[in-house]
Amino acid sequence: MSTVNTALRALAASVCLAALTVGAASAEKSLTIGLTSDATHMDPQAGEELSSNIMFYHIYDPLVRRTPDLTFEPGLAESWELIDDTTWHFKLRDGVKFHDGDELKASDVVYTLNRLKESLMVNLAANIESFKAIDDHTVEIKTPAPYAALPNDLAAILILSEDHVNKVGNDGLEQNPMGTGPYKLVDWVREDKVELEAFDDYYMGEAEIENVTFRPITNPATRTAALLTGEVDIVQDLAVRDVERVKGEDGFEVVTRPSLLNLVLALDMRENSPTIDGENPMTDRRVREAMARAIDVTALQRAIMGGLSTPSEQYVPSSHVGFVDGVNFREIYPYDLEKAKELMAEAGVNGFTLTLDATNNRYVNDAQIAQALAGMLAKIGVNVELNVMPKSNFWGYIRVPTEKSSFIMSGWDVPSGDAGSMYGALFYSRDKREGYGQVNRGSYSNTEVDALIDKADSTAKVEERDALLQEATKILMREIPMIPVHYEQDIYGARDGVEFTPRTDKFLWAYDMDVAQ
Amino acid sequence: MLGYIIKRLIQMLIVLWAVSIIVFLMMSFTGDPVFMVVPIDATDAEIEQARRILGLDRSLPEQYLIFVQNMLQGDFGRSYVFREPALDLILERLPATLELVLVAMAMSALVAIPLGVYAGANPGRFSSRSIMSGSLLGISLPSFWVGMMLIFLFAVKWRIFPSSGRGDTEAFLGVQWSILTADGWSHVILPSLTLSLATMAMLLRITRAGMMEVTRQDYMKFARAKGVSRRGVLYGHGLRNALIPVVTIFGIQLGDLIAFATITETIFAWPGLGKLLIDSIYRADRPVIVVYLMLVAVIFVVINLIVDIVYTLIDPRITVK
Repeated sequence: MSTVNTALRALAASVCLAALTVGAASAEKSLTIGLTSDATHMDPQAGEELSSNIMFYHIYDPLVRRTPDLTFEPGLAESWELIDDTTWHFKLRDGVKFHDGDELKASDVVYTLNRLKESLMVNLAANIESFKAIDDHTVEIKTPAPYAALPNDLAAILILSEDHVNKVGNDGLEQNPMGTGPYKLVDWVREDKVELEAFDDYYMGEAEIENVTFRPITNPATRTAALLTGEVDIVQDLAVRDVERVKGEDGFEVVTRPSLLNLVLALDMRENSPTIDGENPMTDRRVREAMARAIDVTALQRAIMGGLSTPSEQYVPSSHVGFVDGVNFREIYPYDLEKAKELMAEAGVNGFTLTLDATNNRYVNDAQIAQALAGMLAKIGVNVELNVMPKSNFWGYIRVPTEKSSFIMSGWDVPSGDAGSMYGALFYSRDKREGYGQVNRGSYSNTEVDALIDKADSTAKVEERDALLQEATKILMREIPMIPVHYEQDIYGARDGVEFTPRTDKFLWAYDMDVAQ
Repeated sequence: MLGYIIKRLIQMLIVLWAVSIIVFLMMSFTGDPVFMVVPIDATDAEIEQARRILGLDRSLPEQYLIFVQNMLQGDFGRSYVFREPALDLILERLPATLELVLVAMAMSALVAIPLGVYAGANPGRFSSRSIMSGSLLGISLPSFWVGMMLIFLFAVKWRIFPSSGRGDTEAFLGVQWSILTADGWSHVILPSLTLSLATMAMLLRITRAGMMEVTRQDYMKFARAKGVSRRGVLYGHGLRNALIPVVTIFGIQLGDLIAFATITETIFAWPGLGKLLIDSIYRADRPVIVVYLMLVAVIFVVINLIVDIVYTLIDPRITVK
């Protein structure tokens, strides 16, 4: 009898205990997010795409933090100053801890930059010439030339722990990532889930949500289903066709925000273009204007994008350095077929044929957009043949010196919040300066623009840089070396009770989120 | 028997060699992998650095030679995208696919064979005819549609099963399995069902055809006259003789599902092999594709070998040479 009694008591006690632990666990907030794909890396210097970036910014921190609205503020560096035109000193915060309890030191930053220079992601350090630790909490970084956007660039460089990487080895970092970030990696099952847990000693304070799980769900319809069944709390890239469905469902909301990705059409400016017989009519500015006027972006928005696109005003969004207030490509060159035909006649061009190179799996509805563009341009006598291919072939095919292309549709985004890098890569004359014009697919060349970019990249003052880039923007809007089309819209679905505001750079960051109990 | 197995294994080596060459040649047409890993505005120097890191700075024959040399030493190359050994990436995902396929094949066999025997033994009945029309549906419905419908009905509408993912897993032999937990089972049912439908229909039709053939044989009537129960005759004498083509198809389907469950895995966000293959093709990740297809070749050869051996067990008159 007494044994039974003891057993019963033990049982009762363990039930109570279990109830207690369950109670404690439910007090901890948790969140599950459905992503379009799994991260490929946990080592921030091994590669980058959106899903990996999302993980990186949970686990690691940069010296300079990019806010959701694309402004920049102190991160691991509490302040920085310009010593001379090319020398910067970054002062690290005191007492920042890595997940293993070690304190962040300047030597970790130096180690990170050294490792970066030897990695696939070396382009992130393109404007960093040398660096050294001045003392435990000060890092000196020199740029090859005066360069105002250095802090913005540093927002993309995540700081590793020298000690930890030495311990786990270069390859070990993929399975055992560790940084100073707000979350620690608990478990990563490829293609199934990434589980994160809040880091108690985070330098900005512990995160509200204790447990975060990311689940890769590639198929858009399944992603929607997982949201509706409550398996996930937020989904990334809600399919356009599911927007109405989710809106109509009780307890869910759809959140949208214009993305940074500007869809642009590059026009070839060479005398002879690979897919055009005879002389290239697009060397005439009037022909380029006619083509711009023949493209009806609101029709694209309505008929192909389901209303979920934002026609581009310039080459970069209004938040960026180099954007000119009040200047709108769509107002300068509104859709106007009559005017477009007149311009073609003025230029003495009686129609011509060229090929448009586009992707079919990179941008939202890219193949349909390419088809629609062909239809629109046909109305002014520009006969567009389509050459649509998957992205794995595309980037190599259109690569400068673009020996096969005359007319290219591609996207461009500048998460650094500064038009300079885009202009330098896309509009600077080819083969004139190392690291410039390497993506100038249309062979545009204007010494004035080159000079403005040179000057912008050689001042260390942001205001000067802004003014110079704005000048460049004005010239480019006049000359139309590229036709900006639209920004895609980022679409998320979330259940009610999840506090979440999408970021401009699409990086879902649980530290900024909260859930109702 | 041993000689036979050795001969088949040598054949397998030849197949593997052919697969590796074909994939190597094919992949040279599907785009340059280096552009999948460098940013769009990479400079020439950065691209060169990436090529060097990935080993793509050599000519194609050289790359192939290095690949073969390394493989003979047990190194199957590294994924360009993940920078991890390709074989590890594949083996990591293999258990998820295996359990999905095994459950699907078990479902198909358990449903198809009894129904096939029934329909073959009673060809005239209405119920048999309904089974046969139903099997036509199973063959003709595309799996992505079936998958989406199952998710819509069972997950979104009735909330019986979860929509996607693998659920809780438990370790067995150092590998995580879903079929060892209740939550895992609730996740495995819908994708397995989707995957099993076509195989189920095919097995059913073949079992029925075989049964119709054997029920006319004299030994069936004789066994019956001898006093064996109807059930005993159908399964003991009939099915055994109708089973050879069923086993053949079962083997082929098994290999096919393991290798190419891509669509079902994508729809149910099942972290298996098929998704890896399709992602790797999009990213021009040649090392993964080569090893994957070589593994598929191994799987097919091994399954066929097993099927051949099973023939001899079913029908002692058959010998392998």
